[in-house]
Amino acid sequence: MSRQVRHAAQALWLPVVFFGWWWWTSAGSTSIYFPPLAKIVAVTWADLAGGPLPGFIAFSLGNLAAGLALAIVVGISLGMVLGWYPLALRLLDPVLQFFRAMPKVALVPLFIGALGIGALPKIYSIALGCVWPILLNTIDGVRGVEPGQLEMARAYRIPLGLRLRRVILPAAAPQIVAGVRVALAIGVVVMVVSEIYGAQQGVGYYVLNASRAFDVAQTWGGTLLIGLIGYVLSTSFVIAERWFLRWHYLRARVLGLNA
Amino acid sequence: MNAGQNERSADLEVLKPAPRNDESVSEPVGPHALVVQRLGKTYGEGAGAKEVLRGIDLRVDPGQLVCIVGPSGAGKTTLLRCLAGLQTSSTGTISIGGRLITEPPAEIGLVFQDYGRSLLPWMRAIDNVAFPLQGKGVPAGERPRMAQVAMQSVGLGDAAHRYPWQLSGGMQQRVAIARAIAYQAEILLMDEPFASVDAQTRFDLEDLLLGLRRKLGISVVVVTHDIDEAVYLSDSVTVLSGTPASVVETIDVVLDAPREQIATKADPRFAEYRSRIMRRIRRPELAAVSKERP
Repeated sequence: MSRQVRHAAQALWLPVVFFGWWWWTSAGSTSIYFPPLAKIVAVTWADLAGGPLPGFIAFSLGNLAAGLALAIVVGISLGMVLGWYPLALRLLDPVLQFFRAMPKVALVPLFIGALGIGALPKIYSIALGCVWPILLNTIDGVRGVEPGQLEMARAYRIPLGLRLRRVILPAAAPQIVAGVRVALAIGVVVMVVSEIYGAQQGVGYYVLNASRAFDVAQTWGGTLLIGLIGYVLSTSFVIAERWFLRWHYLRARVLGLNA
Repeated sequence: MNAGQNERSADLEVLKPAPRNDESVSEPVGPHALVVQRLGKTYGEGAGAKEVLRGIDLRVDPGQLVCIVGPSGAGKTTLLRCLAGLQTSSTGTISIGGRLITEPPAEIGLVFQDYGRSLLPWMRAIDNVAFPLQGKGVPAGERPRMAQVAMQSVGLGDAAHRYPWQLSGGMQQRVAIARAIAYQAEILLMDEPFASVDAQTRFDLEDLLLGLRRKLGISVVVVTHDIDEAVYLSDSVTVLSGTPASVVETIDVVLDAPREQIATKADPRFAEYRSRIMRRIRRPELAAVSKERP
């Protein structure tokens, strides 16, 4: 128990100090742009408890989940094909590099224009932003499978489907998961940006709307909330990753490797 | 040896290679001989071509243990990879029970030198052993039992649920052997299987291999550079030498069975075989060196 307490203390001391300092120094502030933290919290809490925020958060997270899921399915399947067939990769590589280099949020207005203002264009925008790190990491992961493992699969006549599912996919999994972790961070950004154009709900819309109405405390609150959502998502992801790839991390520790 | 040993060998019956009913082959049903005729292998073409193997003849009868010895770089591994169907030969043929080998055959279980790379680190030991059974279409209900029997037959019944990287090198190689056994291979092909374990573990694994061969009636082909190991294990030693490598001699090894690490190696015949093989390996090499000198 004491170890967990110590770890929690190590992780939390800085946020506690920082917000404590903010709370104390901003108390009684009359600046328009820097309202007291107490007021920010109160306004946000009110919107959370009885206001529109729970619905907005559900809308945003729903879009993120759908977009990320789409990116994972497309990224992994396409990545496995491209990683497996060098010719396909050579043919498509310039296009992949072009799309990877393009700022994904720049596509949001196009998508909204083409697909309208519902949830769908937001989901597509998020998927388009998230797919690249997953795709490229999957290609790398598949190309990096230990040749001895593939040789074993051949020698034991493992059929292609089974080979993909139980040899190549698990071998590439650590890299694929690292790609998904990057994609999640991109997804949060695209999620917010996609709600700034033509939206009537969502956490991004909440911040934009508050700022348009010069409600500075609400703007601050929404921004902090998005930061908190991003933090909770990435922390949960790391925990899920440690569980999902526990063989990988345990093995690295046993063999003294860097995971 | 404990009391449980007999029960285990009785269990092992389920892993004996089943007689195959292959209608395309007119050979009698049952264990098959592995026959290599005039096998040659050349890498590349034209001026840069490198001939590695030339005119290899080899025969492994059912239940026989054959070692292929030769100096490092003599093409032993290339030969084994051809036998396993992982590489195609340039000339000559390989057949099992009269059927030509062009791809990895179902009769062969391969044990690699580098156990660390051929066992899948995301599967527990027993799942590694059961995996080829899934590929073979063995029903899910039967796989764990077959894998467990194979694990017990290599003395790893208690380590079944550990990951390969939690096991010592010798234990990992036992898992690799169990995988080939569970696969019900008629012919075990082993590439320097005991080269990366310590001497005591090597002796244990050699005796384990001889015991499994005896109980299951399988044939075994071991590629090794260790002449003592070759003589100790073999019914027949094939000596490869020269560049390109060819068979310089095939020696039938006649020693008391079962072999025993101390008595067998103290047998004067053991020393005779040993020096005979060593001379056969060395002579072509010396000839090659003297040829290079002006």
